Amino acid sequence: MVDQLASVNRAPLAQSGSDVPRRPLAARRRGKTARKYAHLWFVLPGLLFFCLFMIYPAISGFAISLTAWTGVGNDFHFIGLQNFVTALTSWPLYRAAWHNLIMFVAILIFQHTVGLFIAVQLNAKPRFMEVYRTILFLPVIISLVSTGFIWTLMLSPNIGVINPLLQSMGLGFLAHSWLSDPHLALPTVIAVQCWNVLGWAIIIYLAGLQSIPEELVQAAEMDGANGWQRFWRVVFPLLSPSFTSLTVLTFIGQFRVFDIVYVLTGPIGSPNFETDVLGTLIYRSAFGGSSMSSNDVRMSYAIAIALIVFVAMAVVSTILIRVLRRREIDA
Amino acid sequence: MKHFLTKALLVGALLASTASFSFADDKVVLTMWHGHPEWKGAVDKIIAKYEEENPNVEIQLEEIPGQDLTARLNTALAAGEAPDLFALQLGPTVGAAGAAGQILDLTGKVDISGLTQAAQDASNYQGHVWSVPTFGSYTVGLYYQNKIFADNGIKPPTNETEFMAVCKALQAKGVTPMIAPAQDGIIPAFLYMMMASSVLKADGFADLRTGKRKLTDPDVVKAAQYLQDIYPCFEDGSLGTAYVEGKALFSLGRGAMLEGGSADYAGFVQTNPKIDVGVVPFPAVDGGMPATVTGMQDTFSVNSKTAHPAEAIKFIQWLIGKEAAQMVVDSITLSNTVGIAPSNNPVMSQMITASKSNDVRVWYEFPETGDVFAAVQQNAQALFLKQMTPEEFSAKLQAAVKPSAAK
Repeated sequence: MVDQLASVNRAPLAQSGSDVPRRPLAARRRGKTARKYAHLWFVLPGLLFFCLFMIYPAISGFAISLTAWTGVGNDFHFIGLQNFVTALTSWPLYRAAWHNLIMFVAILIFQHTVGLFIAVQLNAKPRFMEVYRTILFLPVIISLVSTGFIWTLMLSPNIGVINPLLQSMGLGFLAHSWLSDPHLALPTVIAVQCWNVLGWAIIIYLAGLQSIPEELVQAAEMDGANGWQRFWRVVFPLLSPSFTSLTVLTFIGQFRVFDIVYVLTGPIGSPNFETDVLGTLIYRSAFGGSSMSSNDVRMSYAIAIALIVFVAMAVVSTILIRVLRRREIDA
Repeated sequence: MKHFLTKALLVGALLASTASFSFADDKVVLTMWHGHPEWKGAVDKIIAKYEEENPNVEIQLEEIPGQDLTARLNTALAAGEAPDLFALQLGPTVGAAGAAGQILDLTGKVDISGLTQAAQDASNYQGHVWSVPTFGSYTVGLYYQNKIFADNGIKPPTNETEFMAVCKALQAKGVTPMIAPAQDGIIPAFLYMMMASSVLKADGFADLRTGKRKLTDPDVVKAAQYLQDIYPCFEDGSLGTAYVEGKALFSLGRGAMLEGGSADYAGFVQTNPKIDVGVVPFPAVDGGMPATVTGMQDTFSVNSKTAHPAEAIKFIQWLIGKEAAQMVVDSITLSNTVGIAPSNNPVMSQMITASKSNDVRVWYEFPETGDVFAAVQQNAQALFLKQMTPEEFSAKLQAAVKPSAAK
């Protein structure tokens, strides 16, 4: 009997009208269910990891943001949504977000112009192309903290090399206190970031360019299209996936930025908050501007700001992806 | 032969691991976080002295830049992973950690009777000794380069008028009058404390804490005006100059004056062993008295979860004893231990002399004025850039004062 059942279970699914014995219905249903959801077993470890290190901290953070916890001690008395109301009605939040927006737009334009231009040149496979690509990607590999320290030293009007270099080239009128001048500090931070992220734009666009079938470009050439027309009417539309990826990554990166700004201009976004971004605002609220101002920390308030930023970024990212996906063309 | 060698190696490894395990069992290891990487050499020597006298104790010191210490320490405390010994900001922070049971109550366990009255007062928060100022205290005044002043025939200023005159004279000769790294707002905050203290003095500061005096009083607003007026005397790019860079610039003689503390001198010497400086109280608002401010350096607490509370408390007791205090005053900063004076440090002797005229406790050690420091940090640059008037600046600082009832 057991052998008969075993042989029935091992039998293939029967087709209607055939002589092959069919497995019992319950066994067939279990098998079908198991096959349908088998992939979940492979997803489970990652899902557990995601829940433990992303979902659980987010829920805990939200719970803490409803209290008046400073970050030290165990005074968690409930204050409801007061932290969120305070954050949404405070000028520093919007000022910081505005700076993030400026940085995003400026760096995005830079990446989609300079980055694309260089990628197109490299795609033509000039001599020493691999060397150029490596050199251009090097700033991406350097940590943001190291980048900030290097540029802080180079830009210093007292011990830096930028101003003496400009003076030696007869461009002394361009020498400035780059990180102290309220009009120049933010553009300087943007310039440093452009230097750091250019390599990403080149690599992403280069990958996109190399996936475009050459026949399409050749066909356009045979039809009489000049260089600019071939690029604008054929190549650029096919780079839409790269455009989307770069735009969304830049948006997330620029609204999350913290370390490079902190190193370049300090915890209070010097001078006079002209370079204050959401990251430094959150850090300052959570830990104070220095060890001597640690009595002024408000960890729960900082978490509220972080959650507001998270939700806003999630909404905007979703809209960005949907809008940009519509213009993508399958090659 | 091969089998014999393999067995011998295995037995040897087993014996070595057993020996190290039993050795580790005997030795007490205390972890310690400190916020002055520039003092590491000096602190290592102090610790080595203790370990020499207590061979069963090993102290693992980690130096963390002050700007990052609060973030790491608060996070570690919340996670229950703080070291055995660490320094917390005096005032509400220590009180909150004590109330939460995160630090041991050292009342009656550490004998602080050998400390100065100011240090004993600082150790006591709401009737408990939660922390003890172990690495002495620091007094903040005005450092000046002896050679630059001598070469230009100038004397250290005592008031605002003299300071501005010195500033103009030095600028005319191409010398940067004052190094003031203002990027994080710390130096401007200390400058304001001394300028306002030159008007208030110790009694007036006590009245500020009880609400009898205000930072918006006309005579105190002059301190804010003074702070705004001296901005042109700072080095190029001061608003973007980090604290560490500023100290290095002064050490290398790139500026004539620097507002600094006794605790900074060790760092100057580390950068430039040939540095030749003098110290005076910071020049007063006209009509006031030149002032210094003094704070407790590194008030250490003991983690309530430490596995070695007795050893940790013993180490703290030793640190405020005469032997350690003498090492501190000779290599790092001023001492809180009564009867300890610098044995071979003329600059520290000058700092002690400077503090005898009009010394006020640093404002951030008091709950009533603890937030004023952060308020200065965040508004000083607007004052320098004339985007805020001295009156508006003073009003913002007064809004951060939380007066307590008069005693």
